[in-house]
Amino acid sequence: MIMKKLLILLLVTIGAPSMAQKMEGVVTYDRTQDYVKIMSRMTFLSLDQKERMKATNKNYSSRPTQMVLYFNEDQSLYTNESEYWRSENGQWSYRNSDYIIRRDFKQETKSDVIEMLGRTYLIDDSLKTPQWKILNQLKDIAGHICMKAETEDPIKQQKVVAWFAQDIPVSAGPEQYFGLPGLILELDLNDGDAVITASKIEMRDVSKELTATKKIKGKKIKTADYDKLIKDHIQTSTKAQENPYWTIRY
Amino acid sequence: MRKLFLLLLLTVCCQAAFAQQSNRITIRGSITDTSKAIMPGATVMLLTPKDSALVNFGRTNDKGAFEFRNVKRAPYILKVSYVGFLPLQVEVNPDNSEVTDLGALPIKPIQKELLEVVIKAAKAPLSIRGDTIEYNAASFKVPPGSTVEELLRKLPGMQVDQEGNIKAQGENVTKVTVDGKTFFGSDPKLATKNLPADAISKVQVFNDKTEAAKTTGIDDGKREKAVNLELKESHRKGGFGKVTAGVGTKDRFQLRGNYNRFNTKEQMSVIGLGNNINQTGLSFDDYQDFRGSQSFNWEDQGDFGFYSGGVYFFGGDDGIGVPITGGGSNSRGFSRNYAGGANYNYDTKKTKLSSNYFYNQSGLTLNSDLEKETFLPNSSFLNTDHKSQGSLTRNHRGSARFEQKIDSLNTLVIIGNLRANNGNTALFSDQNFFEGPNQETRTSQTNFANYNQFNGFQLATTAIYRHTFRKKGRNFAASLAYNVNDTDGSAQQRSTNTYFNDTTATGPSVFRINQDNVTSSLRTEIKSSLDYTEPLSKTTFWETFYNFSLRNDKVDRDVFNVGDQGSVRNETLSRYYTNDFTYNRIGSLIRYSDKGFNVSGGLAGMWFHQAGQFASNQGSPNFTKVDRNYFSVVPNISVNYNKKNKRFNAGYNVNVNQPQTSDLQPVVDNSNPRFIREGNPNLLPSLTHRVSGGFGVFNPGSFVNVFVNVNYGYNINQIVYNQTVNELLVTTTRPENISGGTSKGGSVYFSFPIKKTKAVLNTNFYTNLNKFPTFINGIPNQTNNNNYNAYMSLDLTPSEKFTFYPTFNFSITDTKYSVNTAQNLTIYNYNYGGNMNVQLPKGIFFNGRMSYQIYKNPKFDFRQELPILNLAVYKLFLKDNKAEVRLTAYDVFNKNRGITQQAYQNYVQTERVQTLARYFMLSFSYNLRGLKSQMRQNNYIY
Repeated sequence: MIMKKLLILLLVTIGAPSMAQKMEGVVTYDRTQDYVKIMSRMTFLSLDQKERMKATNKNYSSRPTQMVLYFNEDQSLYTNESEYWRSENGQWSYRNSDYIIRRDFKQETKSDVIEMLGRTYLIDDSLKTPQWKILNQLKDIAGHICMKAETEDPIKQQKVVAWFAQDIPVSAGPEQYFGLPGLILELDLNDGDAVITASKIEMRDVSKELTATKKIKGKKIKTADYDKLIKDHIQTSTKAQENPYWTIRY
Repeated sequence: MRKLFLLLLLTVCCQAAFAQQSNRITIRGSITDTSKAIMPGATVMLLTPKDSALVNFGRTNDKGAFEFRNVKRAPYILKVSYVGFLPLQVEVNPDNSEVTDLGALPIKPIQKELLEVVIKAAKAPLSIRGDTIEYNAASFKVPPGSTVEELLRKLPGMQVDQEGNIKAQGENVTKVTVDGKTFFGSDPKLATKNLPADAISKVQVFNDKTEAAKTTGIDDGKREKAVNLELKESHRKGGFGKVTAGVGTKDRFQLRGNYNRFNTKEQMSVIGLGNNINQTGLSFDDYQDFRGSQSFNWEDQGDFGFYSGGVYFFGGDDGIGVPITGGGSNSRGFSRNYAGGANYNYDTKKTKLSSNYFYNQSGLTLNSDLEKETFLPNSSFLNTDHKSQGSLTRNHRGSARFEQKIDSLNTLVIIGNLRANNGNTALFSDQNFFEGPNQETRTSQTNFANYNQFNGFQLATTAIYRHTFRKKGRNFAASLAYNVNDTDGSAQQRSTNTYFNDTTATGPSVFRINQDNVTSSLRTEIKSSLDYTEPLSKTTFWETFYNFSLRNDKVDRDVFNVGDQGSVRNETLSRYYTNDFTYNRIGSLIRYSDKGFNVSGGLAGMWFHQAGQFASNQGSPNFTKVDRNYFSVVPNISVNYNKKNKRFNAGYNVNVNQPQTSDLQPVVDNSNPRFIREGNPNLLPSLTHRVSGGFGVFNPGSFVNVFVNVNYGYNINQIVYNQTVNELLVTTTRPENISGGTSKGGSVYFSFPIKKTKAVLNTNFYTNLNKFPTFINGIPNQTNNNNYNAYMSLDLTPSEKFTFYPTFNFSITDTKYSVNTAQNLTIYNYNYGGNMNVQLPKGIFFNGRMSYQIYKNPKFDFRQELPILNLAVYKLFLKDNKAEVRLTAYDVFNKNRGITQQAYQNYVQTERVQTLARYFMLSFSYNLRGLKSQMRQNNYIY
């Protein structure tokens, strides 16, 4: 709804924006995940176990994976920068799970390819904008001054903090987040459990990347089914005393 | 027509109803800067006043104007943001009109230095709350020990003069509060001059109403600059510890405790334990609590290049590091154990230091009964051995590890470990030998009493330097190691050997040994390795390595015959020898990694030189010399492929195993006069060609796992213990190299949930088929040892209050001796087990563990059943379950006998060891971090 209103607003009030610069380009993000923090949220572990894990792993940090977001004013596509993960010294590689998040803000549709739980799911549905709160903090990310916004994921019960650029008026964002007055350049899930930060922003024509389609087979489901899958998996894993995020994306 | 009318009607009605007030309004306005210039392209957001939720947003047009149409009539917060300007917040309270025009709203620029220094340079989030600007103190570096005053000097927009007077944005700061409260009176300098900078998390600067305005309650419009210091929530400083004490029947006791203190950089811990329930060392949890961040350092191995059979010690009491025994009970004998130590870690991003001292001692009493049948070409004999042993060993260990990141490309690691140990052992043995068609005739008897004592010192040091080049994938590493092992031992050996068939005039012949010996051995080793990796492309890498080691052994062993004339040196058993081993290996391999394919292949050439000499003593004129060269080419191939939920691996390599030092020593060990061990200075390294492959499927959705592995090994120059048994049934073994032995193995693992989260079935089948050649009395013998195992377990977790884990294990060992096919035999081991946990009311838990073991050997009509049942009831109490009281019944049926059955080479044996059997123990634990019931048995690997 908000999106629709916004579009009407944009069309009606502003008419043709005087700033002629076309808002399109590609953002490269570094995605880091703190497994110790994530494991520390598992209710089935005792404080003793959590603290031991924290102490033992104090000197280790996981290496970021690179993600890319192609965007223009109406559309975005977020995916792995490379199909294969490669170790720092380059001597070891494995295939990244498919994760292709397509958004069309004009049509208010999404078209996602998410590989999880041993299968590939195709989710084509209408868009639902998260309910954002705007906060009073400013921070610089990759040369852009960003403002803080907050929401929460009701399924995974995560606190989500987004930092959006004041000077890139595009609604796109990394992972499955969008719907702010500016491009989201940093996303922080649950106080640092996973952090996705823009490392490079390049303004260029990305119509080719946005329109390119790769045929991927998978099971077609709706957003509601996807939410239910995630919810059930988290419930089952927690009951089985396993970390659900070994097999789904955090 | 009708429709139109309807619409008309509807419109009229609605207008009538909402004539006074429509519930939809328009909010408009325009944005300017402080000099009234229009601001096009500013972001304008409409938020709810309650929780700042974003309702709508837009941007100002080229005239700096904005308009929100058709929004609900409600109060809002209008927020305006523009790069380089302070976000503006305006409360919007629509009146009765359709349009709320906010007029021109000016926005203030952010002070340039704030923007550049705080946001851009320090990358610190800058919080703006109305008038308040908040600095993140952690982003501004001040030397340790600095006061807040020095921190404030660093903050842009703040000035602190000589006297400590503070100015913010040019205005005097009249008030400094700490966490919103006035700090010891009204002088603002008191807080800033006394508080340490590192206790502060945030500095907030804001305009406060004057004291006068506050007391009168009349806002005079004047504002004073005020600073608030927010203290760090926690300095992440703390301590934790736990203690367990227990007493039991039969004088059983256990005590263990540890305490840790830590802050962000340092960790200090102490640990201690004592018990007589056979727990000899630390459990993994204890070890991790003790060593903390330095529990595991994976890159401390200085021998680069592909694996060639080097032994890497981790854990165990024989190693040089802190011993980990898993915390379980040793089932051999009775031991009384004491241990304790202290550890200190210092970790920063660049420097990591760890040092510790650990002492442990273990006194062991061991009584065992052995029954062993040995097969010779066309005959066999049986012997029984009743042994009593008492021993005490003490270890002092010290270690230090230092890691320095010199810069982003260079790292240096220095590790030093040392151990000083000593101990003594008394061993009594009563052996009887039987021969005849049914092994019914006792033909000889041996009794011996041996006393040993030793003193040892070991040192292991390694330095590793790693350099990463700027070119991605190009790496260099070098290592240098120096190791020493210095051991002095002495022994007294007294034995009486009676041979009933070998009669003399005075009866059976009796042969006595009365010997003392003193052995001192010193080994030093210098090792060095180099490694260089060059990227040939993004996916292909070329690695080259070189290993060098120079080892020097020196052993001086003096054996004396003790008789009526006193001690006389035994020239045949005394030995002096030295050995110099030089080892060089150079190798190269290509690694390819792309699209889930990881392949590597390479070759190494190894050259090994041994120069030794030995004689019966140092001054001897005729030394026997050993001078050998050995060269071998060693290949190594590994393939690894990962696909969605599937993985596949295959490999071919050659393991090179150096002979053990004890096997190389040209020494005769007659401590058991019926089983004499000789060393062989001519031994060559053994090579094993091994081919292996595996396949795994894992379905994370259905939790079905399948893993299949196979491997085949072919031995060249395998070190085997050839036996010569003389007519008096004295066995002499000597290690020799033999080629042709093989080992084949295969395993299938399958696990799937019968009912998700409630029941999981795990099955595992594995088999080992070994072909083992030896010479028995000079005749080649081939032992085929085929072992088949089936394992099945069920994880039943129907509720949080009840879990049950039944297991079943079945193993058959089929052994064939070519030297004496009549002796071919099969032994069976079954084990039915179960682990049950029940949560009872009032924080009480119950645990029952059952193990029902059956040993069968049909050929000897041997069958033994051992039901071992352990029960425990425990209660958690106090806040956060910090305390636990536990009652344990160990081996309820009093059946524990420590039985092992083995069939190898040319023998089959059954051993029974007296060990911990039934006892009851009451124990109390207290853990500052809280204790947990053990309802589940899954072990988390972190």
